[in-house]
Amino acid sequence: MAERNEKILNALDSGGEYKEGFVTDVEQEFVPKGLSEEIIRIISARKGEPQWLLDFRLDAFRRWQKMTPPTWGHLELPKIDFQDIIYYAAPKRDEDRPKEIDPALMETFDKLGIPLQEREMLAGVKPRGNVAVDAVFDSVSVATTFRKTLAEKGIIFCSFSEAVREHPELVRKYLASVVPVGDNFYAALNSAVFSDGSFCYIPKGVKCPMDLSSYFRINASGTGQFERTLIVADEGSSLSYMEGCTAPMRDEHQLHAAVVEIIVEKDADVRYSTVQNWYPGDAQGRGGILNLVTKRGLCRGEGSHLSWTQVETGSAITWKYPSTILKGDNSSSEFYSVAMTNNWQQAGTGTKMIHLGKNTRSRIISKGISAGHSQNSYRGLVQVGPAASGARNYSQCDSLLIGSECGAHTFPVIRNANPQSVVEHEATTSKISEEQLFYCTQRGISAEDAVALIVGGYAREVLQRLPMEFAVEAQKLLSVSLEGAVG
Amino acid sequence: MDKVFVIRNGAADGLPSRIVLEAGEKLKLTLVVMPGVSCERSVRVELNGPGAEADIAGLCLCEGKDRVSLELNLEHNSGGCTSRQLFKSLADDAAKVSFSGLVKVAAGAQKTKALQESHALLLSPDASVQSQPQLEIYADDVECSHGATTGYLNPDEQFYLRSRGVPEAEARRLQLISFISPVLQRLPEDLAAELSEAL
Repeated sequence: MAERNEKILNALDSGGEYKEGFVTDVEQEFVPKGLSEEIIRIISARKGEPQWLLDFRLDAFRRWQKMTPPTWGHLELPKIDFQDIIYYAAPKRDEDRPKEIDPALMETFDKLGIPLQEREMLAGVKPRGNVAVDAVFDSVSVATTFRKTLAEKGIIFCSFSEAVREHPELVRKYLASVVPVGDNFYAALNSAVFSDGSFCYIPKGVKCPMDLSSYFRINASGTGQFERTLIVADEGSSLSYMEGCTAPMRDEHQLHAAVVEIIVEKDADVRYSTVQNWYPGDAQGRGGILNLVTKRGLCRGEGSHLSWTQVETGSAITWKYPSTILKGDNSSSEFYSVAMTNNWQQAGTGTKMIHLGKNTRSRIISKGISAGHSQNSYRGLVQVGPAASGARNYSQCDSLLIGSECGAHTFPVIRNANPQSVVEHEATTSKISEEQLFYCTQRGISAEDAVALIVGGYAREVLQRLPMEFAVEAQKLLSVSLEGAVG
Repeated sequence: MDKVFVIRNGAADGLPSRIVLEAGEKLKLTLVVMPGVSCERSVRVELNGPGAEADIAGLCLCEGKDRVSLELNLEHNSGGCTSRQLFKSLADDAAKVSFSGLVKVAAGAQKTKALQESHALLLSPDASVQSQPQLEIYADDVECSHGATTGYLNPDEQFYLRSRGVPEAEARRLQLISFISPVLQRLPEDLAAELSEAL
C-alpha cells in the first residue's frame, strides 16, 4: 500500500512538467520597487488616467494601509513584503511602429497557443469557433483581437485602460459596484495599484457571437500582477467568457492579486470559465505564484444567470472564492470547480451564494484532488436571506486523496433565515479504491491509465461544463499532472 | 458508555466538554435541548485507540427567543475508528440555532470511517439556522462524509395527510415527529413521550 502510494507520487513528480515556464526576453520599463502614494501617482500618470481614477486609487490605498491580511484560510501563507514588489512592468513600445505588437510578444503568446492574429482557420472557410482574446503581459494589455467584428454588434471588448479613456461613464458606473474598495485586504490592494485587465460590455439583447477570453502572462521577475476585469451584461444579453494564465518558473514567489466583477442584468446569461495554470512551484515547494483573487458576480436583474466554472491546477497558494449575489427574483447561479494540488501546493477555494431574491437557485459542485504534500480546502457559504422565499441550493463537495501525506478539507457554512427555502449540502472524502484499480488493471488497462481514467471520470461533471477549447486544455492539464501514475 | 443528556432550564445536565475513548471503547451519546432553553455547549470527543467507536446524536427543539449554539469536535487521532453523528433541529418563532461539527482525521489515522449528518427545519419566518459541517482530513485511506440540510415541512406530505382527514395541526405534528424520530428512538420512553407532547 505504502509502496504503491510512493510509486504514484514519484510518477506525479516526474510527470507534471510545467511547459509554460519559459521567460521572454523583451525590453521592459518598470516603476521603482515599493508601494506608496508616490508610486500610485506614477502608475496613474504613466497610464494617463483621469483625476477621478487617481482619487479612487488613493482612497483604496489609504484604506488598505489600515487593513490586515485575512487569516481565516486554511493556508500557510509566507509573509509577503509589499515594499519588495514592483507594481508596474510593461514591455517597451517600439517608437517607430507604435501600432504593431513586438514580435517577441507575438511569439510568446503563439508558444502558449494564444493567437494574437485574427487568422482564418482554413483558407476560404469562414472562421468557426473563434475566440476573441485580450492578452495581458505583466501590467499591460498588448492586444485585443476581433474588436471590429464585436463592435458591429455594439459589444465593447478592450483593455481596462482603454475603457477608462473611451468609456469613462460605463467604467465609473460599474467599477467597485460589486467588490467594494474595502471588501478585503487584497481587493483594496488591487484597487490601489491595478494595472490592466479586460473590460467587456454586452448591450441589451445581444448574444455575443464568439467566446471572449482574457489571457494573463507574468513575465518580469520581482513584479506582481494586479489585473482588474469588469464584465457588464445588459438586459437579455448572453456571453461566454474564458480566462487563462501562466507564468515563468522562478525560485521566489510572485504575487497575483486580481479582482473580477461581473454585473448581470435582467434575463442576461454569463458563463465565466477559468483554467488557472500559474506556475505551482517546484517539487520541493520553492517558488510559485501566490494567487489571491477576489471574484464576484451580481445577478442584479430578474431571471439573470451566472455560471462559474474553474479548473485550478497551478499556483503555489490559491485563495479564491468566486461568489454570486442573487439579488434579482428568479435569478440563478452555478459554481463548478475542479481543484488539483500536488507537491507542496495549497489551495483554498470555494464559493459564496447569497440568496436575496425570491425563487433564486444555486448549485455548487466542487471536486478536489490532492496529492503529494499538498493541502486542498473547500470553503463556502450559502446564505438565504429572510426575503428569499422559494430559494433552493444544492451543494456537493467531493475530495479525492492520492497519497498519505496530503490533506483535504471541507468548511461549508449554511445560513438560512427563510422558512420557505431548501438548502442541501453533502461532502465525501476518499481515495481511489483498490477495487476500482483492480477492476481496470484486471481488464488490461495499465494502472497509470486507470488512475487517469478514474480521476477523469471524477472530474467529468465539471469538465463538461467548460467551453470546447477549454475542456480539451483542462483535460490535458489534469492528465499531465497525473502522467505516469503507476500503481 | 451509553448516556442521554438533557439540557433544561434550572437543572444541571452534566454534559462533559471532553470525552476520550481508548482502544475498543464505545460511546453512545444522545443530547437533547428542551424548548425554552438558550445555551452554548461544546463537546470534544477524542478517539485515541484503534477500534474506538463514537455514536452521537442530538436533538434541539427551539422556540420563542431561544438561542442555541452547539459545537461538536470529533478527533480521530488513531486509525481504525468509527464515528457517527446525527443532529436534528427545529427552529420555531424567533429562535436561532447554530450547529458546528468538525471531524478531524489526524495524519496516519488510516481506515477511519466518519459520518456526520445535520438537518434543520425552519418553522417560522423569524427563525434562522446556521450549520457548519466541517471535515479536516490528513490521511488518505478514509471514508468520510457529511450532509447538511435546512428546509421546511413538505407541503405535499401535508396535503396527503389532510386529504385523508387528518386535521392540519395533527398533520404538522406527525411530520415533526417523523423528522425527529431517528433521535427520538434513542431516548427513554418517558422523555420521548414528553417531547412528542411538547410539539
